[in-house]
Amino acid sequence: MSSRGREVWWAYGLMAPALVLMVGVMAYPVGWEAWVSLTDLSPLNDGPAKFVGLENYRRLAGDVQFWWAATVTVVFAVVTSAVKLAVGVGFAMLLARPFRGRALVFLAIFLPWAYPASVSVIGWYWTLNPPIPTAYSAFMSSMKASVDHALGGGAWAFLSVTLFNVWRGSSFIGVFLLAGINAIPPELFDCARLECSGWRRFWLVTVPLLRPFLALAVFLSLTTAFSDLANVWMLTAGRIVFPVIGTQAYWLAIKGGQFGPACALALVLVPFLLAALVVLFRSFDPPAEARA
Amino acid sequence: MNGRAGWRRLVHGGLLVVTTLYCVFPIYFMFVQSLKTAQEDVFGNPWIVVNPTLENFEELFERKGQAHNFVGRVLQRDYPFFVWLQNTLVIFGGSVAITLVAGVLAAYGLGRLQPPGFRWWRRAIFATYVVPHTILFVPLYQVVIRLGLDDNLFVLLLVYPTMALPFCVWILSAYFQHLPRAIEESALVEGASRVTAFVRVVLPMSRPVLVAAGIFALGTIASDFTLASVFLLSAHNQTIPAGLATMEVALDELLAVAGINLMAIPVVLVCAMFARGYVRGLTAAMVEGA
Repeated sequence: MSSRGREVWWAYGLMAPALVLMVGVMAYPVGWEAWVSLTDLSPLNDGPAKFVGLENYRRLAGDVQFWWAATVTVVFAVVTSAVKLAVGVGFAMLLARPFRGRALVFLAIFLPWAYPASVSVIGWYWTLNPPIPTAYSAFMSSMKASVDHALGGGAWAFLSVTLFNVWRGSSFIGVFLLAGINAIPPELFDCARLECSGWRRFWLVTVPLLRPFLALAVFLSLTTAFSDLANVWMLTAGRIVFPVIGTQAYWLAIKGGQFGPACALALVLVPFLLAALVVLFRSFDPPAEARA
Repeated sequence: MNGRAGWRRLVHGGLLVVTTLYCVFPIYFMFVQSLKTAQEDVFGNPWIVVNPTLENFEELFERKGQAHNFVGRVLQRDYPFFVWLQNTLVIFGGSVAITLVAGVLAAYGLGRLQPPGFRWWRRAIFATYVVPHTILFVPLYQVVIRLGLDDNLFVLLLVYPTMALPFCVWILSAYFQHLPRAIEESALVEGASRVTAFVRVVLPMSRPVLVAAGIFALGTIASDFTLASVFLLSAHNQTIPAGLATMEVALDELLAVAGINLMAIPVVLVCAMFARGYVRGLTAAMVEGA
């Protein structure tokens, strides 16, 4: 066997553990979800599940609640991603040049992401919606009452999800973009400093050079926003007034026992995310020739 | 003194202060709560702690085996916190290790040996991030039961790595791909085998990227609480996030806040220790031939 041929076999062998893990954990669940979304599977029905084709999807398209949840989800994802990106870019720019105490500010910016979300989300929830009388609960309750009064019940809980998402996400993006800025040779900035100033330099030099990092950050932010069921669930303690697609699917499946429609609901967004990924790949994974 | 430069410095300084407060305040707030006595939690000043005490932390470990207390007419549960702590350590350490080993192997295969279509392999692995986790645990549970692994800690050792692997494979393989070939070849010329060259030359060089992958994996794994609470049912099998979610908030608020801190502080310390390496590694991975 040629040495190249052997190399290729070695490559497959080395990829095997990761692939087995990914396929082993994901393949069956994803396949199940796709198949069930085409049936009327439900523990409430007698007999085996019937194949219903695209009926579940068709029914979604005519459902007012679905469109409401879809709107909330998309608005939530786009708004939080934009804010996270803006704040993250701000953090990265703030840290770009050396100053006294930079290491400390960097650590502070790194903290919200490093602090495990599994437990900080619980802390946020109790702080913003205190379950028992504490020294701050009167203040928080009045905030909650006034926000809910102005925007409708549950608005405060939704706002706290948004705040949490932005707080944690901007930290990740800030640190990630700082890594991107470090990759830009300082001479480039110095040249640009002579040519043009301020905003123009930012749009003409910094943003294009950071593009791969920005694209990757946007993608990760979008996927977490779309699938952030846990945060919404936890931060609203299941009392969901502004449903997102994730919570609606969960509700349908676990409380309603309607697995068919729930699976359809869960999968509805996948094509859009894939399309976004394909577009973004061009930015952060350009073909070899273009990388010069 | 130049007026304009003075303003600039003032704005910069102001932004730094605002940034730091915005990032640290929620964490500070949770930390302060955990140091309070029940008395101070209700009547004290919410911003500060006047009589800091570690009794909440002590109670976390001591509650077990003690006579049950009654608050009003409700029985206070006891929590096997020490067991949760051990489970969490095993799961986090194990998952990060599995992620790194599987990730490095795959990344070397993809980035260095470059089988046909390796870009598409890499993209396909990364594309698994579009799968929403919403109700994925329902079919996953079927698999778990079929394997006889329900309510077993080791399920998470299989599931957690898949959450971090795509990103880790991505940055590691990008790094290996752009590493100059000459580095390994000189070792090969001197008669070292490919494996030796990898272990002796390539791995030590990639330390920052390994750190970046490891920290990303730890951050991702530590943020999950849905899967942990779905798969780990009995109290002695739970990790801290899953266990805390079962706590009776109304009775044990301070205890739970102490639990939050006890889990978060070690994770934060590890992350902080490697924070610089994390940034350096991300830079190295995204820049060719770094």
